[in-house]
Amino acid sequence: MEQKNLLIGQSVRRMDAVGKVTGETPYPGDIDLPDQLWMKVRFSDRVHARVTAIDASRAEAYPGVVAVFTAKDVPVNEYGLSMPDQPVLCGPGSGKEGADIVRCVSDQVALVVAETEEIAAAAVKLIDITYEDLPIVSDIFEAMADGAPQLHAHAPNNILIHYKLRHGDIDSAWDQADVIVEGEYRTGYQEHAYLQPEAGLGYIDDEGRVTVLVAGQWVHEDREQVAHALGLPEEQVRIIYPAIGGAFGGREDMSVQITLALAAMKLRRPIKIIWSREESMIGHHKRHPMVIRARWGATREGRVVAAEATAYADAGGYAYTTTKVLGNAHLMVSGPYEIPNVRVDTYGVYTNNIPTGAFRGFGGPQGAFAAEGQMNKLAEALNMDPVELRALNVLREGSLMSVGSPLPPGVTLDKVLAEGAAQSGYWQSTEDGWKRLPVEQPANPARRRGVGMAMGFKNVGFSFGAPEQNWATVEIHGGAEIERVVVHEAGADVGQGAHTVFVQMVAAATGVPIEKVELIGHDTAYTGNSGSTSASRMTFMAGNAIKGAAELAMEKWQHEERPAIATYQYRPPRTTAYDPETGQADPNFAYGYMAQFVEVEVDLETGQVEVVRVVSAHDVGRAINPTQIEGQVEGGVIQALGYAIMEDLITQDGRVLNPYLSTYLIPTIWDVPREVKSVILEYADPRGPWGARGMAEMPFIPLAPAITAAVCDATGVWIDRIPLTPERVVLSLREQGIGAI
Amino acid sequence: MTLWNYYHTPASVDEALELLRSYAGKARVIAGGTDLLLDIRQGHLPPPEALIDITRIGELCDLHQDGDWLVLGAGVTHTRIVSTDLIAARATCLVESCGVVGGPQVRNVGTLGGNVAHALPAGDGTTSLVALDAEAEVILDGERRWYPIRELFVGPGMSLLDPTRDLLIRFRFKLSGPYEATAFKRIMRPQGVALPILGCAAWVRLDESGEYYADVRLCIGPVDRVPVRAEAVEAALCGQPVGSDAVERAIQAAHEGLHPRTSRYRATAEYRDEMIDVLLRRVLPLAAERAQTGQAVPEGVGIE
Repeated sequence: MEQKNLLIGQSVRRMDAVGKVTGETPYPGDIDLPDQLWMKVRFSDRVHARVTAIDASRAEAYPGVVAVFTAKDVPVNEYGLSMPDQPVLCGPGSGKEGADIVRCVSDQVALVVAETEEIAAAAVKLIDITYEDLPIVSDIFEAMADGAPQLHAHAPNNILIHYKLRHGDIDSAWDQADVIVEGEYRTGYQEHAYLQPEAGLGYIDDEGRVTVLVAGQWVHEDREQVAHALGLPEEQVRIIYPAIGGAFGGREDMSVQITLALAAMKLRRPIKIIWSREESMIGHHKRHPMVIRARWGATREGRVVAAEATAYADAGGYAYTTTKVLGNAHLMVSGPYEIPNVRVDTYGVYTNNIPTGAFRGFGGPQGAFAAEGQMNKLAEALNMDPVELRALNVLREGSLMSVGSPLPPGVTLDKVLAEGAAQSGYWQSTEDGWKRLPVEQPANPARRRGVGMAMGFKNVGFSFGAPEQNWATVEIHGGAEIERVVVHEAGADVGQGAHTVFVQMVAAATGVPIEKVELIGHDTAYTGNSGSTSASRMTFMAGNAIKGAAELAMEKWQHEERPAIATYQYRPPRTTAYDPETGQADPNFAYGYMAQFVEVEVDLETGQVEVVRVVSAHDVGRAINPTQIEGQVEGGVIQALGYAIMEDLITQDGRVLNPYLSTYLIPTIWDVPREVKSVILEYADPRGPWGARGMAEMPFIPLAPAITAAVCDATGVWIDRIPLTPERVVLSLREQGIGAI
Repeated sequence: MTLWNYYHTPASVDEALELLRSYAGKARVIAGGTDLLLDIRQGHLPPPEALIDITRIGELCDLHQDGDWLVLGAGVTHTRIVSTDLIAARATCLVESCGVVGGPQVRNVGTLGGNVAHALPAGDGTTSLVALDAEAEVILDGERRWYPIRELFVGPGMSLLDPTRDLLIRFRFKLSGPYEATAFKRIMRPQGVALPILGCAAWVRLDESGEYYADVRLCIGPVDRVPVRAEAVEAALCGQPVGSDAVERAIQAAHEGLHPRTSRYRATAEYRDEMIDVLLRRVLPLAAERAQTGQAVPEGVGIE
């Protein structure tokens, strides 16, 4: 028993640390197979066009080219995580209606397979494609207008999704409000910029299965998508992930999986592909840019009585996970507060822009940017401290959310807020409530410091009635003593350290040291369905499945079964979808709660914003591995800092103008705050394994509104559009006569 | 992908020239490669048959003082420039500009000659060399001669040098003397994987009272297709007493004479226009103060 207690809560060294640091661990692009061929993709040359003809003869005649594949070669020419609205290859001859149209620059038209990568790269340019241009729509409001070009038959006015939420009586609620604040919030694209661009190998395995070795987030979903497009039964497809070089939601949809499988199936030889950084940036989705118009009202005493919002998100050419991302944004745009009257409309809109989808936080950051901006402005309008205002309004045990249901048991928003504020060093609790401490200003009057805060909540696990489960198998081997424990768990370790946590949990549940635990991870041949590594769910979901399987196996062990093997499927309490008219729902079975406190320094002359210090407070339920949690907090904060200040994907008429990391700037060490302080709180989630909650997205979500609040504290100006590029800051300051010449 | 087929590290200028001749236009000079390899990888340049690495040639790695002059081989790295005390004290702007290029890895391999040969109108090291009124020794079409640095540049990314044939050998410029000093600042985030939004290097000489600008050389970029001196601004400063009035005169002259352009993903012309003011307000007083005190400690260098 003592062993168990020792392992949970201990920062054991990551299982993958040495291999990754020494470079020995193979990622998909590092792996070669005998007799392999290389593949290159011809991405769409146009933003919106009908492909009327493809002439591959010049490419096919190029020495060393083995095959060219186009739409006519794809058995079932469609895919998509939430709906199959995208052709695998765009062009004529596949029998899928509308598959001859390219709708964005991410579309793929042809594949060239050749003896070397150089030959494939040279030949892919020799494919002659005849396009008939179609009108481009690249603005969400133009796309929704009557008469706009229609991208998909199933989405009149290009509206892919419209969620509604009607709670209380918003129209009469405004009369109770002593102050009303309004804002229009705009957020930008964000690129995942994982270390490892898309790469993989397709081949036929020893048992004749079409096999793809790739980096993804959910082997079984990849298998389903590949099998569907190839017209194969799922048993004839196998997906294996070696080490995964980051994901952040960017690997939830297909990139190279289907095309590698297609080529391997047709040619019966191993096929390899590595996307360049530019191909990666064009070829996978981005975070949704949104425009959110919000109007909130509160009483003089600080009770928020009304929240109204309309959110518009650019889905780009295809759905990807738009419907699910916007489901979250729709809930989070009114914040983690008990507001009796709420009205929200959320629209996802097809355009000819680059598609958008899953990205750490999954609609939460955009929702929080509006919700927390509104709370901070209400505090200002009420002349109230922003922590005090939140303490008055946060959801508590049993209080109803805007969707008419309470949060699951274990609500700790008030505790996270209070402990975070106290440990931030910027606030103190007094007899009259929370008070901000003054911040020291630099001697140079052009540089002003400010402090801001924001908070948030985010679901752990799949939401809104989506089937949710995780399978694990635990085998206990040995005679009188346990010699080794084998766990089969498919949950993807995308770099966050999930495998180490799985092993810790197996060891804790079976009472063995971690050295005796062997993990059989993401390979559909040996594991059950885990669901995706997304929604901060893997510690919670895999943990419950592992705990269940280990306890069953231990029972068998006690009954002298050798080996003792048990399989367990964890299924959390079910959730329900939004009511189409009122939005009422029981949306989630678990949550993480967080609050962030930020100090910035603004150069009033150049508009540069430096984030000096961040304090990030989280209820993680139980910190299985505290060092890994700190890693997630620091990584999440820095990724969100990039989102809030730097990362500016520039598009024009559907084209990405800066598809390189030399022009799309992400944070480097120089941009990292001098301190990112993790405040890790452990209020057990009664449903979590050992009380653990998910936490990986949480440090991202409230940072942008905390930064804009700090910038306002420093300058007196609210800037409701991110990223806060120097130019945008200068423009906003000059409009208010600050720093003007 | 293959970025080159052959990589040579000649030990002498003659050997390098011979290699270039033997490849007859199919080899390119590489002097660090932090720009060149990106250009090849991103498809802006076709992969050359061979790369001729000039950073092992003794003459090109030479760095020495010759009286009041500094001689600096084209293959000297940014890191070496930044860590040379003589340059920090008497050509401070060069340390300040080379010290913000890229990250440590880029500065360890990237060379000043490579920066100049790339001929960008906003190259950090180049901006300072223009303010220092440096000269460059080159071998053009087999003929060795010195050029004023500004005469090397033909257009964005284009210089007199044919990278498949010619060599940039070294630079020379006068070190700051009494009442002379330099300074460099730029506008961009404090990381350097990208080109700056705007950079500014100034060389000033005060009169013997230390109160008046006697002579000024100023390079602000990018404001043109090639690196240029802001001559109207220099003229507006000469003879003026050091102080905020002179800076405001300089700003006015800058607005009349300099017309930065919008780059699609770096900055608009309007922002750059305003940042000229900010840079002049920061660089001119700093350079003047250094000239008055005879003390110069480089600022903002990312070497620590």
